[in-house]
Amino acid sequence: MRVLLRPAQYLALAAYILFLGFPLLWLVSASVKSSGELNSLTVSLLPDQWHWSNYSEALDRQGLIHSAGNSLIVALVSTALVIVIALPASYVLARLRGKVRAAGVGWILTSQVFPVVLVILPLFLILRTIGLSDSLAGLTLVHTTYTLPFALWMLQGYVTAIPVDLEEAGAMDGAGRWTVLRRIVFPLLMPGIVATAMFSFVSSWNEFFFALVLLQSPENYTLPITLNMFIGGEGKVALGPLAAGAVLAAIPSIVFFTLLRRRLTSGLMAGAVKG
Amino acid sequence: MKSRRVVAAALAAVTSLVLAACSGGSGDDGGPVTLKFQSLSDQPAAIAATNKIVDDWNKAHPDVHVEVVQAGWDGVYDKLITQFNAGSAPDIIHYEAAGVVPFARDGYLADLSPYLTEAKKADIPKGVLDSVTVDGQVIAQPTELQSYVVFANKSLLDKAGVAVPTGDTMTWDQLRDIAKATTRDGAYGLSWGLSSPTASMVALAPAFGGQYFEGTGTDAKISIGQGEMALPQLVDAMAHQDNSILPVTLTQSGSKALAPFYAGQTAMTIQGSFQAANIAKDAPAGFDWVVLPPLAGPAGPAQAANPQTLSVNRDSEHVEQAAQFIDFFTSTENLAALNEADALIPATTSARDALDTKLGAQNGWKEILASGQYLTSAPYLFVDKYAQWKDTVATPAYQKFLAQQIDANGLSKELSDGWDSINR
Repeated sequence: MRVLLRPAQYLALAAYILFLGFPLLWLVSASVKSSGELNSLTVSLLPDQWHWSNYSEALDRQGLIHSAGNSLIVALVSTALVIVIALPASYVLARLRGKVRAAGVGWILTSQVFPVVLVILPLFLILRTIGLSDSLAGLTLVHTTYTLPFALWMLQGYVTAIPVDLEEAGAMDGAGRWTVLRRIVFPLLMPGIVATAMFSFVSSWNEFFFALVLLQSPENYTLPITLNMFIGGEGKVALGPLAAGAVLAAIPSIVFFTLLRRRLTSGLMAGAVKG
Repeated sequence: MKSRRVVAAALAAVTSLVLAACSGGSGDDGGPVTLKFQSLSDQPAAIAATNKIVDDWNKAHPDVHVEVVQAGWDGVYDKLITQFNAGSAPDIIHYEAAGVVPFARDGYLADLSPYLTEAKKADIPKGVLDSVTVDGQVIAQPTELQSYVVFANKSLLDKAGVAVPTGDTMTWDQLRDIAKATTRDGAYGLSWGLSSPTASMVALAPAFGGQYFEGTGTDAKISIGQGEMALPQLVDAMAHQDNSILPVTLTQSGSKALAPFYAGQTAMTIQGSFQAANIAKDAPAGFDWVVLPPLAGPAGPAQAANPQTLSVNRDSEHVEQAAQFIDFFTSTENLAALNEADALIPATTSARDALDTKLGAQNGWKEILASGQYLTSAPYLFVDKYAQWKDTVATPAYQKFLAQQIDANGLSKELSDGWDSINR
């Protein structure tokens, strides 16, 4: 029985990965099919003829690379800002007690209930007043602001999970406040920082509505806005180029995740504290 | 559509709180005037045609420079309503009549009547001009139109011994007969993508004398009588008595319903006329297709028009120049070129004739262009809560009716009661 257990586990894992990966597989397949094949009744994973022109059309037609560059800048900068702000703030939020903390937590939760459509017009006017409307800098600020509350909430959960005993033990050993943070807290918090960074990056990378409304010059368009242009009026969709564009759009996210994956390890604290 | 109304309501509320901080748009201090033209052209050829028109204008008018701002159809309502509320909307706006009429009613669009020559007015069919006339003001110039037409697989018609109709129009009864005759050998007579049936029902209702709405704005009243019920009942009869409509297509989009047509599973399909371009591109080699004459009901071949339009932001500092550009854009030559690129029907008679002369011999174009002359004003364009009714009442009710979950009386009641509930 035990002999069969390991292969069964691998089989289940493979099935799960296939299940999760199938949409991506289908997307890649659609990106190399001709318009005729995509609009036929025949369903097949592999195309009859490999139609690479979808990629060239996607790249030529809407300035996809330029938009991807804009998205990358906005996503990376807003992620960095979110982490820089959320890291100390979440620590304070997690460790602090009393009314200030309660007010902070209350505000974070309250900020999550405002629908996007309610905040978009004030945001638009504020950005215009400070000269940042229709700019990547303005959009970066908006993404940072919008992602920050959830990132704070997320990260303070990770901080809370680090036993205060560890910090106290460090202090007992003569470490100063900064040393405790740098040598004990930050390493243990790394998976949380990475997870929060991933969340922030993906939120910004995929964000559509703010970019749609705030950006007016085509040279500032981000990737979701550009991809959206493959969907025309009257339900007209350029399926092949859209799929090709979506495949290209997924690559930076995959690269970003791959780079951070190693950092996203759990169990760093295993055995840190004696039960 | 539902989200549109939510967005509109939310933004209107917020506007009252924050708009005081907002002052007028930027102006040009001497030098050439620059106009921002937000274009929604989505096909590569149409984008090229639009850019060519703009380039021609800029060359001929060095003092008025038009700058194209390319945008997408999806989400454009939300974008525009924010821009209008914030006082930063483009000078020239490309959209559809159903989209701009609410903006006009809210006072965001300039009256183009003073800039419309009598010749241009006469060139736009009355029904189409009516679709962009709000409270006596022409708030947009129509540019491109689509109608619903019947595409047929000629080989399957021949095989069933059916002659392709050749008159100026064909009746819905003829369509039903052809569908019955071609439902054989495992194939169905018709595929019709009715996953969002309301648009088709209200657009085609005028042929049966159906108007759906009387009055405008919030005073509009719904009327569901014989004229409004005739088409859904006909579809129901074809689908469930004649069994001549491929059932699965009733729950699919129009584009999806093309696949069985290509595969020879259906002899005909009802589609937006623009699909002619896609059929020419995507149909299998040797696929012999034709467009049948425009459909006519007891009240004639009329269909409700929802044209694409160009309008001018009322807060633009250069309304007159923007209107002059639109007049240039909608010249016979330009509209013909644009509609050829987009595979749509020009909104002016002269451009339609020009396109007929140029392309009439090509497959489908003659019949499609002919259907354009029957496009008429759509009462629903002027009804404030139409979008909400369409999404929350009509579409689910039609879907239930087509799935035989409710009968004709149930459909009529749901359409009427739903409207009364929304428009309370």
